[in-house]
Amino acid sequence: MKIWTSEHTFNHPWETVAQAAWRKYPNPMNPAVIGTDVVDRKVVNGVLHTHRLVSSKWGFPQWAQSIVGSTSVCYASERSEVNPSTRQMILKTRNLTFCSYIAVDETVSYAPHPQDPTKTLLKQEAVVTVKGVPLNSYVEDLLTNRISLNAGKGRQAIEWVIDKIDAEVKEIANTAVKSTDELFTHTKKSFDDITSTARKSMDDISSAAKKSLDDLQNLASVPTRTKQNLPKI
Amino acid sequence: MNSIGENCSELKNQYDHCFLTWFSEKFLKGDTNDEVCAPFFKVYQQCVKKAMKEHHIDLKEVEKDVLGSADEHAPPPKNT
Repeated sequence: MKIWTSEHTFNHPWETVAQAAWRKYPNPMNPAVIGTDVVDRKVVNGVLHTHRLVSSKWGFPQWAQSIVGSTSVCYASERSEVNPSTRQMILKTRNLTFCSYIAVDETVSYAPHPQDPTKTLLKQEAVVTVKGVPLNSYVEDLLTNRISLNAGKGRQAIEWVIDKIDAEVKEIANTAVKSTDELFTHTKKSFDDITSTARKSMDDISSAAKKSLDDLQNLASVPTRTKQNLPKI
Repeated sequence: MNSIGENCSELKNQYDHCFLTWFSEKFLKGDTNDEVCAPFFKVYQQCVKKAMKEHHIDLKEVEKDVLGSADEHAPPPKNT
């Protein structure tokens, strides 16, 4: 059995990190995670309880494939609790695939930093247990190293998601401004249209009236012209 | 993020969108009533449960400890 622990401080308030944690996947740092599904979710006494199924694609080395099989998609069960009043978020993950040989139990918690509540402290712990496999400790070391590497990627992922949320908020603000502009432009255009239509109508009426007058005049002059032409026939 | 059931991804996206808005706008601000997303959750759940069955994923398996019990795979016999 191997125990691995780590801590990290995010320069963001807990609420921001908690929102980002739900949106962690997909991210470019953990391309292996291909799906997350909520299988159960409920609020009990103000605490949000969630059970998720996390699917990931693992590229196993050849020697490991002989042990775990050629399964390329691995499943893990993640149970989490979010308490907004105490500002705590805890996620516990355990692998569902290869349970008989390998158990990876990971606990991640997000809480306000004790020294600075405007920051968030991430605590991460992973317990790796391998049994029934030759070179138990070697496999445990290998997995622990992998977890250590992935933990770094996980933090980058959270920062990446926070940036993305910030950008989205800005985009919404921009869209709102743009919409107002569009509304004004549109309104002005409508007014212009109405004015020009009105002007056009007036012109039409005038020209129609003029045409009618001309026609009347023409009609009036036709008999004269006819008379004048008659002798020539 | 996709669902394990390819045909569930659209339902999942709709539910996720509702949940994320609810989480930031309601839950974190002290309103724990989650009924607003319940209709989305229900249809998405039906789809996922079916997909999990098709993929032979049994979440009950994870509840029991295999290692150290009789269900644990025995180490291969040592070469003599």
